Amino acid sequence: MTWFAWRQFRSQALVVFGLLVAVAVVFLITGPHFASLFHDLKTCRAKGDCESITSSLTSGQDTYFPFAQAFSLLLPALLGLFWGAPLVARELESGTYRLAWTQGVTRKRWISTKLAVVGAASMLAGGLMSWMLTWWASPIDTVNADRFSSLVFDTSYIAPIGYAAFAFALGVTAGVLWRRTLPAMATTLAFYVAVRVPFFHFIRPHLLTPVRQIRSLKNVGNIGFERTPNGLSFIAGDTNLPNSLNFSSSVVGDHGGEVTRQWLRDHCRSMLQQVPPNPGKGVKVTTGIRPEAFTECVDKITAAFHQVLLYQPANRFWTFQWIETAIFLVLAVLLGGLTYWWVRRRIA
Amino acid sequence: MTSALLAVDLGKRYGRKWALSGCTLDIPTGHVVGLVGPNGAGKTTLLHLAVGLLSPSSGSLMVLDEAPASSAEQLGRIGFVAQDTPVFENLSIATHLQMGAALNPKWDEQLAQQRILELGLDPNQRAGRLSGGQRAQLALTLAIAKRPSLLLLDEPVASLDPLARREFLATLMEVVAEHEVSVILSSHLVADLERVCDYVVVLASARVQVNGEIENLLSTHHRLVGSRRDLDNLPESAHVIEVSHTDRQTTAIVSSADPILDPSWSVEEMTLEDLVLAYMGQAEEQRRVLLRSNGGAK
Repeated sequence: MTWFAWRQFRSQALVVFGLLVAVAVVFLITGPHFASLFHDLKTCRAKGDCESITSSLTSGQDTYFPFAQAFSLLLPALLGLFWGAPLVARELESGTYRLAWTQGVTRKRWISTKLAVVGAASMLAGGLMSWMLTWWASPIDTVNADRFSSLVFDTSYIAPIGYAAFAFALGVTAGVLWRRTLPAMATTLAFYVAVRVPFFHFIRPHLLTPVRQIRSLKNVGNIGFERTPNGLSFIAGDTNLPNSLNFSSSVVGDHGGEVTRQWLRDHCRSMLQQVPPNPGKGVKVTTGIRPEAFTECVDKITAAFHQVLLYQPANRFWTFQWIETAIFLVLAVLLGGLTYWWVRRRIA
Repeated sequence: MTSALLAVDLGKRYGRKWALSGCTLDIPTGHVVGLVGPNGAGKTTLLHLAVGLLSPSSGSLMVLDEAPASSAEQLGRIGFVAQDTPVFENLSIATHLQMGAALNPKWDEQLAQQRILELGLDPNQRAGRLSGGQRAQLALTLAIAKRPSLLLLDEPVASLDPLARREFLATLMEVVAEHEVSVILSSHLVADLERVCDYVVVLASARVQVNGEIENLLSTHHRLVGSRRDLDNLPESAHVIEVSHTDRQTTAIVSSADPILDPSWSVEEMTLEDLVLAYMGQAEEQRRVLLRSNGGAK
């Protein structure tokens, strides 16, 4: 049965694995270039002038990355649509189930072999694409230092194996329930998106309790003031946590409360007096403020306030990858079980 | 004694509609059985139940003394040719044979190869490009090369032209003669069955109307023609299947184990077609009566 499951699947398999070979060729041609740029970047940091190298890295990113990431992001859905949905539906639709299920092989074995062969191929395809992208993009991922972003997390490492298994099982289940390929494909796409997008937005960030860190504002870069219609307000931007998943950073006083305008009026009078009332558009907020006054105010804030960070630290990346992969594999197994039962008990 | 098919009060329901109900049959092995009835009578349902594509809603069914599709071994003993003879359109004839070899333990490769050769088919041709007759022959080849004990064929010749139809049935008869195989084949045309069958099951209105060896049935069914009258003075064992009156004459079709001795009847022999039509007519009449009484109850 394994041979026949593969034989029926062969031409569909060739299309997808052919595409993956094409991707591999593109990656092999462009990959070493990125790697050497990255190497230059590491050595140039010692000398100082890295701007041109960084810009060629990021411009390369602009040319190739959207396609590579989009393909890796879409691949599981494509597998669900073109491998999963027709797997049983096409047999039911064309009537060939009457031929297939009356050979000397039980329906139990027929469906489990099909699920195993094409399911394994789906995971292989998803994993292969992810592995190639992970290798190819590693220089840029290192520069960007944003591994939790969905374009990296969802397209690289091991999670795509889980997505591929899930999408495939979803497609088969939809096909079995609809008994027709086309509506099954539409349903597969709709459900796949309906699971993945909310998962990424609402579930993944809370799979583990985020870390809450209180730290001195002295370590924070990018401190300053922002002009609002009601006057100046304090900002502390840079969290300086590479590769982490940041939820919020806020500035909280020792006894609670934020840096209010009232507080600024009470403590930074000398600085506020130097702010021009109507600087006009495009004029820097700090224009007209003497550095001493600025520093004095910042020091006062630093003494009375802290930065409170809520985030998933970078070292949890692999934990998140494993959890997410496992969740989608479990979903795939549940859907596969439903399909198995339905084909045995409910069809015809 | 093995039964090819043993059904007890077998029924299959789709939603509220019974496609087959109260079907009790015991067909011995060693026959070529014609399963005949109008379209929608439940023939396909019965065959799909027999091969395990469907499971019964009521009653029980044994095929060659085992529950249908209960094991790979059981499936291997049944050759099935489904209606419209489905094949895998994208796969070649050779691949179909490879499939048969891979999936059936008793596969007879030599028989399969030889049949394809005799049919003059190119093994590399895609099954989707075969004519209806060729496709039916391929489907039959796949079923036969399993070396089954029982062949089930669902309207195998319905979509074939007269020549292809004759060739198909001729092949079937060769197979029956060469290998000891029981056959159940369905058709809505009696003419197809008359040539090849020695046993008949008449299905109409989702029920078995009559079944038995054709020879026995024909010898126990009579057409009576006589002057117009009521039907009395018939033997105890006689059942009236159909009766019609004209102004002067009464014609009746009766089944009777005893001979009809009343000399006022002229007793005529019946053909299989007469018999089948009489039972179908009876089923139709019963259905109308049932509809009328249901309508009256409302």
